[in-house]
Amino acid sequence: MRYLLIDRITDWKADEVIRGMKNVAMSEDFLEFHFPKNPIMPGVLLLEAIAQLTGWLVAASSDFKDWFLITKVHKCKFYGFAFPGDRVEFEVKLIPGTEKDKIIYSGIGMVDGKKKIVAEFEGETISFEEIEDANEQKRFFKLLTRE
Amino acid sequence: MRFLFYDAVTNIEKGKSITGVKSFSLSEEFLRGHYSKIAMVPGVIMIEAMAQLLGWLIIYSHDFRLTAIMSLIEDVTVISNLRPGFRAEIRGEIVSTSRRDSLGMASICVEDKCIASLNRIIYSHFHDVQPEELIKRFEYYSGWKIQ
Repeated sequence: MRYLLIDRITDWKADEVIRGMKNVAMSEDFLEFHFPKNPIMPGVLLLEAIAQLTGWLVAASSDFKDWFLITKVHKCKFYGFAFPGDRVEFEVKLIPGTEKDKIIYSGIGMVDGKKKIVAEFEGETISFEEIEDANEQKRFFKLLTRE
Repeated sequence: MRFLFYDAVTNIEKGKSITGVKSFSLSEEFLRGHYSKIAMVPGVIMIEAMAQLLGWLIIYSHDFRLTAIMSLIEDVTVISNLRPGFRAEIRGEIVSTSRRDSLGMASICVEDKCIASLNRIIYSHFHDVQPEELIKRFEYYSGWKIQ
């Protein structure tokens, strides 16, 4: 499994908002055990998709110097299941007024206009170059945004 | 990818608590892409580990007559930059449970250090289940014998 939970980024505005999507396929590895004979996209992977989308917002806003890691989830509510064949559309926003060293984000995931997950969370930024080749990731971001 | 984030159940007390172990190894599938220069265990995988183990305690406490799916998490803290190569102890407790839903809390420790905590988790219960099938799965996953 490639632990990449965002397929496409549709738009973003530095330090404010990013939108993207994940297509849930029947061929996903994690559906074999989640659950046997009853495939449902795991809720935590919806949360991971939101965290990765936040990473892309932090990266794109810092010219790919930083990345984001989730450290606290204040609240995350799961409203319904995402099934194979669904396209989950995500939006992550920076909550205004938070301090620079403790930025809080809100994220939402929807399928066909119905919300499936709403989360409020915070994290820390780390050097992108420390964990990935930043230039390669810049190229990958262009693939995701289809620029 | 086998979406199972505990290796064995070490103790279970009906209606009260469960403990289990999970070894995080460098061969984990989720490390493909997380990240290429440094391997880090994703925080949401630790959330899933706590949710899976506590979920089994709820099912066990209701004699395998229902299944429990996470619907809300609150006040969660995870260490975001853990390198694999450690054995963690996962502990979950039921705070309250009814026919309809359950409330619980969980944590993960490595030796005496807490690396993740989940102070509030709510599960919705689903009653359309086959108890024999659930028992078989629990026995295989946990290493415990029910019958």
